[in-house]
Amino acid sequence: MFNRIYGVAANTFRESLRDRVLVALIVTAIVVMAGAKVVQPVAMGEADKIIKDLGLSAITLFCVLIAVLVGGRIVYREVEKRTIYLILARPVRRLEFILGKYFGLMAVLVLSLLIMTAGFYLILLISRVALTPYLLWAVLMTAFELALLTAVAVFFSTFVTPIASAVFTFIIYFIGHSTYLLKQLAAMSPVPAIKLLGIVLYYLLPNLGNFNIKGDVVYGVPLNFPALGLAALYGLVYSLTLLLISVIIFNRKDF
Amino acid sequence: MSSVVTQPAIETVRLTKFYRAGFRMKRVRALVDLNLQVEKGEIFGFLGPNGAGKTTAIKIIIGLAKPTQGFALVQGKPPRDHRVKKSVGFLPESPYFYEYLTAAEFLGLTAQLSGVPRGELKPRVREMLKMVRMEHAAHIQMKGFSRGMLQRIGIAQALIHDPEVVILDEPMGGLDPIGRKEFRDIILSLRDKGKTVFFSTHILADVEMICDRVGIIVGGKMVKVGKLSEILTSEVESIEVTVRGALGKFRKALERVAQKAIESGEFLMLTVKDDEDVERVMAIAREAGAKVTAIVPRTKTLEDFFMSQVKSFLEEKGDV
Repeated sequence: MFNRIYGVAANTFRESLRDRVLVALIVTAIVVMAGAKVVQPVAMGEADKIIKDLGLSAITLFCVLIAVLVGGRIVYREVEKRTIYLILARPVRRLEFILGKYFGLMAVLVLSLLIMTAGFYLILLISRVALTPYLLWAVLMTAFELALLTAVAVFFSTFVTPIASAVFTFIIYFIGHSTYLLKQLAAMSPVPAIKLLGIVLYYLLPNLGNFNIKGDVVYGVPLNFPALGLAALYGLVYSLTLLLISVIIFNRKDF
Repeated sequence: MSSVVTQPAIETVRLTKFYRAGFRMKRVRALVDLNLQVEKGEIFGFLGPNGAGKTTAIKIIIGLAKPTQGFALVQGKPPRDHRVKKSVGFLPESPYFYEYLTAAEFLGLTAQLSGVPRGELKPRVREMLKMVRMEHAAHIQMKGFSRGMLQRIGIAQALIHDPEVVILDEPMGGLDPIGRKEFRDIILSLRDKGKTVFFSTHILADVEMICDRVGIIVGGKMVKVGKLSEILTSEVESIEVTVRGALGKFRKALERVAQKAIESGEFLMLTVKDDEDVERVMAIAREAGAKVTAIVPRTKTLEDFFMSQVKSFLEEKGDV
């Protein structure tokens, strides 16, 4: 089983590495981070924070783009191009296929994250900003956020086109970063139906705000590690659940 | 030893598939009560015009689609059983591969997914590339491959795990005459190894040359299954006689003897029903001073049979 998941994952990884989109996104991310340097002369002492903040934001944004753009077509493309026939006609379970796709993409994202983080630290070094490993906590939490978002992308990819999947995943991403609004809506609305809807959506949609500690690390605020551990666990459970639902959908599918 | 009942390599029982298509989700019948038995070790040709349901049936046998009713068994087990999949090799119609992979990488992946032990991967890939004569392209990305090259890689991936049952959907598509000959040799060599080969096609010449039995599917129904030797009796159906030279007034007499007469330049090709008619034609030709240049007996071809089956099916449906 692990051998087959590994086979599918390694192939997905190789496919993405040979994809120009990935290289373009990584390069652009590093260029954007370097762009923060232009503010250095005018930022009056705040430059360090701006460079750090922008760098971490760029890492998250571009990794999210990779997850959404590459992840959104990851399963659909195999179906559309019918390469899936060659895989599923072999002793590969559909569960193994979905997990292989997911882990392959995660490997791509972890690699991208590492390259971007290295680029980020290089820029910090060039800009003579004091290097601190404290910032890496934000990168780690981004990894958990990406794990969740990739599961969302794979989930959509099992039944809608890549473009629709990318759009839906982006929507989930944006709502996921403002789920507190849903809770406020539920608290404020006098209509019971809207109250209920707000609460249901609040608990159903992923709360991505949990993973965002960029501000805290940039300003050196002490981190609440138990809460971060819980957030990581939440991300993993949420991802796993979505992947299982994807497998159920996929299992019922005719090709 | 107790008697062992040998189970068919592939069996379908009342296989029926409906699907919904188009904007209005109209119900389309792809297969209707399809019964089929392919014995172990035979080469079975699955014949049918385009859109007859061949690919749908194959997808169910492979486990890519589920039947609406009925069931399929491969070596006595359901198609999605893991043990079955290990022993089945499949080549889809006009296959498309991961174009960013090289031929060798792709075959390595398919071998790995089919459970070929890690240590045997490389030699197996090399052996397969040699068999389909693609060694020269082993390390080239497949995005530049021609249809024929892809088809060769396709058969290699279908056979890489040495399967007992080989299922090929339109395997001759995109191959030139030399490629087809090589392909036929590969299929025949599989029979020598005791493998079962099930392949669909609408090209009759391929079937005629290598199949033990054929099944003809039209409109989702199996209209005929049988041994080629039974379907195509060696009985002479008609005789073609070619006459050369000026015939003048004798021409009318010749045409009266023949079932069909076709003129081409100074040749007249006559189709007659038996030896007696051949004698008559020769006598008239002699009298006219013309020469009989060829006498060719025609046996029933698979094409004749196929066309008659398709035609009678369509007539039944009232389409003709």
